[in-house]
Amino acid sequence: MLKFIGRRAIFAGFTILIVSAVVFGIFSLLPFDPAALTCGQRCTDQIVEANRIRLGFDKPIYEQYWLFLSGIFLGRTYGSGSSAFSCPAPSFGYSFNENACVTNMLVEALPITISLAIGALLLWLTVGIGLGIVAAKFKNRWPDTSSSVFVLLATSLPTFVTGLALLIWVTIKWKLVPLSLSGYVSIFDNPFGFFQYFILPWITLAIAYAAIYTRFTRAALLETLGEDYIRTARAKGVGERVVFFKHTLRAVLAPLITMAGLDFAGLIGGAIITETIFNLPGLGRLTLRSVYEFDLSVVLATTILAAVVVIVMNLIVDMLYAVLDPRVRIT
Amino acid sequence: MSELLRIEDLHVSFKTDDGAVRAVDGVSLTLNAGETVAIVGESGSGKTVTSLSVMGLHKKGSAQISGSISLNDGGTFKDVVSLNDDQIRDIRGRAVAMIFQDPMSSLHPYYKIGNQLAEAYLVHNPGKKKAAMARAIEMLDLVGIPEPAKRAVEFPHQFSGGMRQRVMIAMALMNSPQILIADEPTTALDVTVQAQILALLSKLKKEFNMGILLITHDLGVVAQVADRVNVMYAGRIVEEGAVDDLFYSPLAPYTLGLLKSVPRVTSKNERLKAIPGQPPSLINLPVGCPFAPRCEYKQHSSEAGCNTTKPALTGTSPTHRSRCHIPESLRHDLFAKELRELQS
Amino acid sequence: MSPRFALRRAVVVASASALLLGTALVSGSTVANAATTPKTGGILTLLEHAPRLDHLDPARIYTGRDLAFMNAFHTRTLVAYNPVPGTAGANIVPDLATNTGVPSNSAKTWKFTLRPGTKFEDGTPITCEHVQYGSSRVFATDVINNGPAYLQAWLDIPKDKDGNSIYTGPYKSTKAGQAAFNKAVSCSADNRTITFQLNKSVADFNYLATYGVISPVQKKKDTGDKYTLNPQATGPYKIVENSKTQLRMIRNSNWSKASDPVRTPYPDEVIIQFGLDEEVIDQIMLEDTIPTAMNFGGPLPSNRDKFFSDPKFKNRRMNNSDPYALYLAFNVKAMPCKEIREAMYHSRDAKALLDYAGGPQFAGSYATGVISPLVALDYAPTKVVGPGSPDFKPEGNIVKAKALMETAKTKCPADYKKATEDGITIDVRASATLNDTIPINEAAFARAGIKVKFNIISAGYYPTVMDPTKQKDMSNSGWGADWANASTVIPELFASFGGFNISQNTADPAYKAFEDKVNIAMKTTDRKKQAAMWKELDAYAMKQFWVLPTLFGKAQEVWGSQLANVFFWVPQGNPAYGKIWINN
Repeated sequence: MLKFIGRRAIFAGFTILIVSAVVFGIFSLLPFDPAALTCGQRCTDQIVEANRIRLGFDKPIYEQYWLFLSGIFLGRTYGSGSSAFSCPAPSFGYSFNENACVTNMLVEALPITISLAIGALLLWLTVGIGLGIVAAKFKNRWPDTSSSVFVLLATSLPTFVTGLALLIWVTIKWKLVPLSLSGYVSIFDNPFGFFQYFILPWITLAIAYAAIYTRFTRAALLETLGEDYIRTARAKGVGERVVFFKHTLRAVLAPLITMAGLDFAGLIGGAIITETIFNLPGLGRLTLRSVYEFDLSVVLATTILAAVVVIVMNLIVDMLYAVLDPRVRIT
Repeated sequence: MSELLRIEDLHVSFKTDDGAVRAVDGVSLTLNAGETVAIVGESGSGKTVTSLSVMGLHKKGSAQISGSISLNDGGTFKDVVSLNDDQIRDIRGRAVAMIFQDPMSSLHPYYKIGNQLAEAYLVHNPGKKKAAMARAIEMLDLVGIPEPAKRAVEFPHQFSGGMRQRVMIAMALMNSPQILIADEPTTALDVTVQAQILALLSKLKKEFNMGILLITHDLGVVAQVADRVNVMYAGRIVEEGAVDDLFYSPLAPYTLGLLKSVPRVTSKNERLKAIPGQPPSLINLPVGCPFAPRCEYKQHSSEAGCNTTKPALTGTSPTHRSRCHIPESLRHDLFAKELRELQS
Repeated sequence: MSPRFALRRAVVVASASALLLGTALVSGSTVANAATTPKTGGILTLLEHAPRLDHLDPARIYTGRDLAFMNAFHTRTLVAYNPVPGTAGANIVPDLATNTGVPSNSAKTWKFTLRPGTKFEDGTPITCEHVQYGSSRVFATDVINNGPAYLQAWLDIPKDKDGNSIYTGPYKSTKAGQAAFNKAVSCSADNRTITFQLNKSVADFNYLATYGVISPVQKKKDTGDKYTLNPQATGPYKIVENSKTQLRMIRNSNWSKASDPVRTPYPDEVIIQFGLDEEVIDQIMLEDTIPTAMNFGGPLPSNRDKFFSDPKFKNRRMNNSDPYALYLAFNVKAMPCKEIREAMYHSRDAKALLDYAGGPQFAGSYATGVISPLVALDYAPTKVVGPGSPDFKPEGNIVKAKALMETAKTKCPADYKKATEDGITIDVRASATLNDTIPINEAAFARAGIKVKFNIISAGYYPTVMDPTKQKDMSNSGWGADWANASTVIPELFASFGGFNISQNTADPAYKAFEDKVNIAMKTTDRKKQAAMWKELDAYAMKQFWVLPTLFGKAQEVWGSQLANVFFWVPQGNPAYGKIWINN
């Protein structure tokens, strides 16, 4: 296992290096002058050139990349004279739009996105798997039919519609959940406030995913119920409930976990729409804003972070799969 | 010999969108202790449906079952057809156990062998975990798994095909059932392994004094282990009798066809004599003899009944009966002659 | 007030009541609950769609709304606009200074004397050297940018051979540079009087002193780039939180009413909530979920009718002309033929575009020049373009346009060929409305046989069109006066030394005479005479069709039921936020 993790970690390191180099390369090819984007409408050549030097955009691309890489390990200093300042290691650059070190921005955004993703994950796994079980257990009867209505509705409604509808109706019109404008509160400081803050975003995200998981769970359960080993269990005299909840569900677990792991990784990369609607200053909103504003250092950092999360989640999913499915052995 | 199982006039049909599939159409048979009774037939002949009926494994909603399946549960006879779910579950795995065709897919891939075996015991002896595990190891040993204690904590994928079928047999025997249903137990296995498994079944039958209901399409297997044979075609038994009667003087044209289609060492240059045509659809069975469209001997029938009436199961000997409109004596001579030609 | 910034929602709108212009319209603006007595307490909440304000650093703010907001609560300047309704709001009054500036040496020297008793939020008394230091920061153009650049242009500091100031700001400068600055901006011995030496006469220099570019900053608290995140307060409120979700300000205990003749702080706290969905903001307003909140950007066009047709919002809304004049700048170098420029003006379907943007009620009125009616004194219809011109027809004067094209055919055949065959390329900022407006424009210009193409720019719009090598034939733009004097409009847009000359008109034969008149107008200290000159220059520029003027814009504001005394503040084109109080 340790050997496996070690080898995968080295592989992951290389992948991240390549991703960062590719992203870096793409940005350098974009038809924008990154220095010109650092000042607004009153950019004079003088300001642009000064910022070009301050940001290191005057250097050749490989040197810029090297500065970026070394910044991660050594930190980086910007500017000169008494207005110089530095971003300590690990530094992913400096955002001139936000006047902040990118690393700090990521550190601020991450807990919000993680809270959003974990809560939504738990919610949709509960609802999705639960409904899937009910639908499979009562195949072609009313619980199954109503769950398929849910699936149809939830998959056809885009997130921005459900999110906005929830926010406007539940919060503003019905006042069921108080409108929280003051921003993120940690679960450790104020658990109730935390839940109030996240409940609608969780529901918004969970609706879309729960539908997919309902459909998947139902199909997987029904397929498994037709397996020979389920017949064997019945032939042993095992009761229907045990057949369903032990033998059948157990077989569906491994693919479900894999799916959940990858979906979770995707969410960390950015639940852009949900974060934007509910004004959650997480990674998704950060990415969206930085793309809109061509805040290249932030886009670069969020892209690399997303790649890291996907790679790490893949590793975790692989290890989980090995735990869940005895046929899979990691070597 | 005590009777373990008596199936009488069993009908099983399944509802489908195209109509009712009459999978089993009036089957009657018996199984005694210490005896191996084979049900032989092509796929779709109703042999597996019959065996699953004995286990009560058909879904209540989809299968319509009539007739009776009397099963000896430690001296008292119970009719599986009329039992409720809990009562059937109580019999399953205890009074009657079953092993299946494909040992690869019949074991749960995610549970350890020992646990899967133990579960069979625990279902009927709740709470006795230690005893269950001990029994599991004992059974593994009995079916010839070396180092049973060690193998018990392994997963199915760590076993070969033959070993898995031994595991399945061990699982079936966990509660010392009186009846063992073996549904194509060797079909998925190598020939050498087949013989071992059949020998094991014979040995265990004696040790446990069981009756084995053997479901197979393989006449070779039948010849090796069966005492009595029921040949099924299109959901009905077309011939029943002792194994020797059947092999040496078959009475149903279908049985003869089966025998003729068995490859023989002596006739290697000849092409296999397959029965022409396909089995009929079980949704719209012909009004006459279901085998009539494929029957080479129709012209010998004195009546025109082949196409209009289904023949009854009759025979001059009560232990050797068959369904055919051609007079039995005529068939006896005709078929015996063909068999002789085939063997020469 | 800088180029019109399309990030502001109000901008998409075009506007109206062509009849009500100038002072008439301003005095007609809403004053809610004016009769009640002021109350203190409560939290004033402003709901904003953008993720943050562009800048809080006093030297870097340059949009009217942000200036109106920060100057009302947080940042004091030497002089300030009087926060009262009507045209009186455009008058400047002493703020940190005891006077509104004393010019001498034909307005080349300006002196301001500081008021005693003023302090920073940390208790440090404000002295002349703080204002001197604050004024030096804009010279560090690599760090302190985006703000007005008048100081660099006007202070008497030598320039190098490239025309850049030899002073490069307080962070890294040569001794000579610092000495030159200290000479241009100097403090009296008692550290109470600041003197600005200018390189030319600027009669309205004191209006620049309403901007934070001339405001006190403590050197030891100056964090360069990052100062914009949490600048030191000099006004009645200080920043306690500036995060991704909100800017929160509470009372500044080191501010005293006695030292501030302008501000009357009412709420206990002022908060801007950032990043809210625009539809959500409108719903909060419609439902009055937060009765002490105000929409910082104005309602979405789709919700405008709900607010403005329902009488229950009567005291919770306003609809005013905003300070922007919208226009399409011709790149005169690329389009030297005046007849074609004029033909484009007359073939454009102004009515269809105005109706699309919300009609006269919400979008604005047809522009008569580049000086907005809100610059009251300097405004008069030019009678060259827009209402008042005999040739103006809202849906386009095709007869006139065709006649002009006929003239162009013989007079400037190359340009005629370009306009009719190759097509005129127009720079536009990417927007959702382009899908609708492009066809309207193409069809309209085609009526005079003119072909147009669009260069859609998705990011860095102004840097692109301000780059003479990148600008196409025409560029969509807008401009609002920096203060109530067209000296911040006409020279800025059309003079060679202007900060926003995207017409590239200096090679035009008509330019030389124009610049001479501009120079005279800038030196004229008699405000009435100067106003007459600006009016004449506006008409002159229109006659040359250096730009194609389109609309004087309008903007809407809506707020919650507990806010009182919300009125339109003319010079900033926004509510006087500092005068709002909360009823409960």
